[in-house]
Parts: sequence; structure tokens; C-alpha cells
Amino acid sequence: MPDQGPGVFEAEVKAMEDALLLTTVEKAVAWARSNSVWPDTFGLACCAMEMIAVVSSRYDISRFGMERFSSSPRQADLLIVSGRVAHKMAPPLRQVYDQMLEPKWVIAMGACASSGGMFANYTILQGVDKIVPVDVHIPGCPPRPEALLEGVVRLHEKIRAGVPPAYEIRGVAE
Amino acid sequence: MSTAYADVPGIVETHESYGETTLDVDPARLVEACTVLRDEHGFNFLSDVSPVDYLGWGGVGVAGYIGTAGGRDLNEPGSQGLARRPEPKPKRFAVSYHLLRVSDEPARLRLRAWLDDGEPVPSVLSIWPAADWFEREAYDMMGIVFEGHPNLVRILMPDDWDGHPLRKDYPLGGEPVRFSDAE
Amino acid sequence: MAVVSRKRIYEGTRIPSPIPTILEVDPDKHDLNDILQINFGPNHPSTHGVLRLVVDLDGETVAGIYAVIGYLHTGFEKNMEAKTWWKNVTYAPRVDYLSFQANELVYVLAVEKLLDLEVPRRATWTRMALTELNRIHSHLIWLGTSALELGAISLLWYTFDDRDLVLDLFELVGGTRMHTRYFQAGGLAEDVPPGFTSEARKFCDFFPGSIDEYEAILDRNAIWLERTKGIGLLSAEDALALGQSGPILRASGVDWDLRKRAPYLAYDEVDFNVPVYENGDVYDRYKVHMDEMRESVRIVRQCLDKIDETDGEPWVADDRKVVLPPRHELHTSMESLIHHFKIVTEGYVVPEGEVYVVIESPRGENGCYVVSDGGARPWRVKFRAPSFASLQATATVAQGGLVADLIAVAASLDPVMGDADR
Repeated sequence: MPDQGPGVFEAEVKAMEDALLLTTVEKAVAWARSNSVWPDTFGLACCAMEMIAVVSSRYDISRFGMERFSSSPRQADLLIVSGRVAHKMAPPLRQVYDQMLEPKWVIAMGACASSGGMFANYTILQGVDKIVPVDVHIPGCPPRPEALLEGVVRLHEKIRAGVPPAYEIRGVAE
Repeated sequence: MSTAYADVPGIVETHESYGETTLDVDPARLVEACTVLRDEHGFNFLSDVSPVDYLGWGGVGVAGYIGTAGGRDLNEPGSQGLARRPEPKPKRFAVSYHLLRVSDEPARLRLRAWLDDGEPVPSVLSIWPAADWFEREAYDMMGIVFEGHPNLVRILMPDDWDGHPLRKDYPLGGEPVRFSDAE
Repeated sequence: MAVVSRKRIYEGTRIPSPIPTILEVDPDKHDLNDILQINFGPNHPSTHGVLRLVVDLDGETVAGIYAVIGYLHTGFEKNMEAKTWWKNVTYAPRVDYLSFQANELVYVLAVEKLLDLEVPRRATWTRMALTELNRIHSHLIWLGTSALELGAISLLWYTFDDRDLVLDLFELVGGTRMHTRYFQAGGLAEDVPPGFTSEARKFCDFFPGSIDEYEAILDRNAIWLERTKGIGLLSAEDALALGQSGPILRASGVDWDLRKRAPYLAYDEVDFNVPVYENGDVYDRYKVHMDEMRESVRIVRQCLDKIDETDGEPWVADDRKVVLPPRHELHTSMESLIHHFKIVTEGYVVPEGEVYVVIESPRGENGCYVVSDGGARPWRVKFRAPSFASLQATATVAQGGLVADLIAVAASLDPVMGDADR
């Protein structure tokens, strides 16, 4: 049984769903939450350009109900960290994350947010999961808008399956 | 060609290479030289202030590149490069001011001041206000002190950062990669 | 022809002193008890990235302002000292991530100048075409995001749609939408694929109609005019003193474009105009951007003709010490195998020396100062970032305006924080 490849993610999601045994109400709430996840405008660098592109009509993030990018973290559900995070930017990032209300999810978009990318140096945080718990990592430099949408879809699948947001199941990395 | 700048005070040496003119200036007379360059020679635009740290320069031989001054000499068998070291530099730090004349006769010039570690250099902010942030960056990244700069604080690194990152004795940083199947 | 126009936008200088980049509250004009200091923090709705403006407000009027940068400092220059010359071409485009080809171009031109390499004509024309398409791309994003900030939200969708067309062309040629890393020292990484010129021509035929649409929406729109005319004035003398370049300088009446004054690549062989406007306000900067897009389309058309003409010619220099030999030669030629081995493992070496190469990126004067010690890695690479310089003008142009004007002015300076912070 391969552990990677097409179809495996769907099988894993089904397995999680069966394991978590959601009630109908929880399933309904999860469905509703996943259908209007409002992202926060946290564009930092090149990935931000592809994140804005995903709002445009060719890639159309509004089919998921997500075109309402909220500048105020209090009204946002999803923090898409798109771009490299410098040590100087880390406290504002954490502050924005703390201001968001539960339930909240984090997508680390791109190689720099996931692991520091090509910048293994004194100033870039080697992975944004050092300060915020991340739900979905999206590889790419920058990831195509389709790749960001794939990450978003997987996040929706996770939410609907009942997987708790990352802050409930794991902390931040060392 | 090098006599064009003969009236600039404080010039120690002139170099020409790759079509670019470089004037080495005595740091103590930098402001005088810049004033003359701006007023008499018309260099009204400061394009860049670049600090360079030459610590460790000349530690490795010049690898050979055929056909150029640093490389192989076909008449001297065995001179595969690496036989010579790069030209030694007078001091550890060099601050290069790249000037531009925005006019009908455009011209570019590099003015360079050589400094030791800890030696300050006068600020040219009074001549070109554009030098403000460039000098702050040179201070932040290399620790070069510009005397007379009204606001010489860190600009790119956080305010409480220790050390000057672009110096050659400052480590690159980062962390070793952990591979998941190595656990 | 005079470089600086004769129109005086304002008398004297408005550069604050003693610190040119910090506007202090003037106690004669504002009651210090009324001042509220707000932080337009690094994370804010404006899409210019992580720029922080600390603003002293007297009601709605900007009484004092200074900009804080460094929130995207990536340590490019230190990283580039640790990698070989070829690998550094991957770092270069991420500096100014809106005009990525321009950054690649300036770095590659600097390396080629040190190497004294002759680049074939086909590569030069392709580089020009791609750099001008990148100019269109950068201006489109500028227009979309600036209009978004000023309230003309629908332009975001229109410009990003057109941007996708440009990115399709980049994908056709380089394999990826952004950060194509298509230039290398010596020419291009690969030959231009067939079909590129016809697709690009279709874009060039379509795009001027788009620019007409944008101008129809904005040019005589009362709200746009009210918000941009007479706002953010910057005189030519102040602009030169502050190191401004590119559209900001040209909107202040200075006829200065490096493509005409100090031509690089083959800009002296193509026919184009340089738009210069005299009022030095946000509206004129907007007009310069729009006109530049039209001129870029003209340049691209001419380059595409030349690319078609040079079909079949080499796209990269023949110098095997710098450029990888074609793979089929590795089976037959021992020297090619050795060259390939040396270039891939150690990297090519660049003679000792230093150069400063400057091009006209969409933001202005983009320079690359490269110092080589004769080895396989650079000793020092410094990028002269146009956004770093243009942000220094924030204190001068934002004087006396309202908060809403501050948004317009910051947008018109076109800062890209990757460029400013490097």
C-alpha cells in the first residue's frame, strides 16, 4: 500500500473521518466553516503576488467563498503566510496570529514560509512553524496559484473531516 | 583620462578598469572632494554607497581564466592560474560612492575611501541627502561609522541586533537541515 | 536638449532637515498636544508589502512621518557570497520580485562585464523582449494595487488578468511564471521555444486596447483626479538630491532614462520614446507608468522581429569555460566533459576585479556592484535598489497632506519591500 500519490490523501481523510466519529451537528458546523474561510492579508514577498493572483478571475478563489481578504486579523480565519519571514517581522506575525479568533488556521505558502527556502541565513526564520502552528505547507517558489488552491482545498478537506486546527494538536517547532 | 579629476582634493590614486574610473580618496578630505565633484564636475546624483569588507582577501589564489590578466599565460607552461594571489588591498574596509552626472553629458564615477576597522569616515549627507539611508545601511551591515550623520541607527536589522552581518567574520547563519527519515 | 525641465514645481527645497528622511512636527504649525502618533504597521491593507510608516497626525493632516524598513531583510548579499556565480542567478530575481527579469539582467550583465563575454545577438534581443514584458508586468501590478488602495477596486481584476497573459509568455519561455531564471552569463539558459514570438505578438496586439481601457476608467475620473492631482509634489532638484530615479524622476520633469542616456543591451537600436511629465505629482507618475507600458509594447514588437530574424543562431556564448557544452558533445569530446565537470562542480571563475552595472528597471536605477577575487564565488554583491532610494523621499512628498493622500503618495513611490530590504 503506497503512502504517497493520488488517492492516498482522500483515503487518509476518510480514515480520519471514521476515526473521529463526528456528530451530525459537528459535521454541519465543519462544513459551514470550511465554506467561508476568510484569509488575512499577510502578503510578504513574491508569494504574495501569486496570492493576489489567486483572487483574480482566472484562478478565482471566490468560488470557495474566500475572496474576502480581511485586513483586520480579528475578522480573519486563515493566515496565509506568503513569503519569507525575517526575524524583525516575526513579532508582528505572532501578534497578528494571536489577534485572530479561534478557530483559526495557518497555511505556510511557499518554500520560505515552510522552511526558510533558499535563505539559510542569519535573518530569515527557518520555517514559520517555529512561531505559529501550521496546518498546511505548500511547496513552491513561488507556488503557482493552482498550487495555493490545492493547499486551500486540502485545508477544507481537513476541516470537514473534523481534524482540529493545528494549535490544538501540535505546538510550534523547536 | 585621469587628469579630468586632477582638481579634486584628497585623491590618492586613480584606477581605470572595465570602462569605469575609480578615485581613491583620503577619508579626511572626503567632504571636500565630494563638494568639488558635485559643484565643479556636476555629479549631482549619488547612486550608491557600497561598503566592502576585504578581511581574508588574498587567502586563496586566483583561479585561472584563459585570456585575461588573472589567468593562464600560454607562453608560460604550468601557469594554470592559482599561481598568483589577488592584488592586496590597502586596508580592511572600502566604502565606494557611486556618483552619476545627470545631464546631457552623463558620466559615472566611483569614489572610494579605505578604512581600518573602527576608523570613522565623514558623512556626505550634507552634500547629497540621498546618502542618509545608504550610510545607515553601511553602518548596520558592516559597522562603518559615519561621522556627522544625524541619525546613524540600524535600518535593516532589528534595533537590538548584535553584530554587523555582512562582515566576513560574521557567520552566515541558518540551521542544519533535519531529514525526516534520519530519525 | 535640457535634461531638467524649466517648470518650477515649488520654490526652494522641501527636504526636511536635519534628517532628510524624518519629517518632524513643526511646533509653529501644530499644537503638540493634538498630535497622535500612529503606526501604519508592517502588516496593513496596502499591498506594498511590509513597510512601516510612523505618522504623527494632527487630526487628519500628516504633521510628521518617517518610514521604518527592514521587515523583509533577507540577507541576499551574504547568501550570494556563499554560492557560485551561476547559482546566484537564482537569488537575484527574488530581490525585486515584481521585476524579476530586471534583477537577473543586472546581475548577469555585471558578471559578463567582468568576464568580458560577448553575448550573441539572439540572446540580447530575447533579453530585451523579456525585460520589457517584465516592465509591463511590474507596471500592471503597480496600477492594480495602487488603484485598489485608492478605491478603484475593479482595476485590480483587470490588471491581474492582463498580468496573467504576460506570465503565460514567461511560462512559455522559461518554464515558470515568476522568477524564471532564464538568463545566464553568456546568454540564455535555453533557446527561445517556437511559438513564442507569435504568442507574444498576439499579446502586443491585444494589450494597447487594455491600456486604453484603463485610461478610460481613470484619466478623467473626477475622484481619481481629485485624489492624485497636486498630491505628493516633488521638484526635480529635490528628486535628484534624494536619489530618485525612474518614473518618479521623469514625472518631476527630468528627462532621464538609462535606456536612452547610457544604452545597454540593444536599446540604441530600437525606436521608442521616454515619457516625461512636469508636474511632479501622483497623477503625473501615473501617466508616466501608463505611457511606459505603451512604449514597452513598441519595443517588444521590434525585439520580436529581431528574434525571428535571428532564428537558428546561437543563444549563448561559445565560451566553454563559462557555458555548459551541449549534452551531445559530452559523449564524443574529452574537453567538453572536463569543461562540464569543472563548471558543474567548482563553477566557472570570474577574473579579479569590480564593476558597477546599472540598468533602468521599472522602478528606476537598479545597479549591481560586484567584486570578484578571481574565484568561483563572488566576494561581494551589492544591489542598488531603486525602492530603497525612493522610500527616502517619503518624508518629503508626504508633507502637509491628509492620511488619504499619504496612501496615494506611498503608492506612487512604487516601493517593493524585497528591493528595499534585500
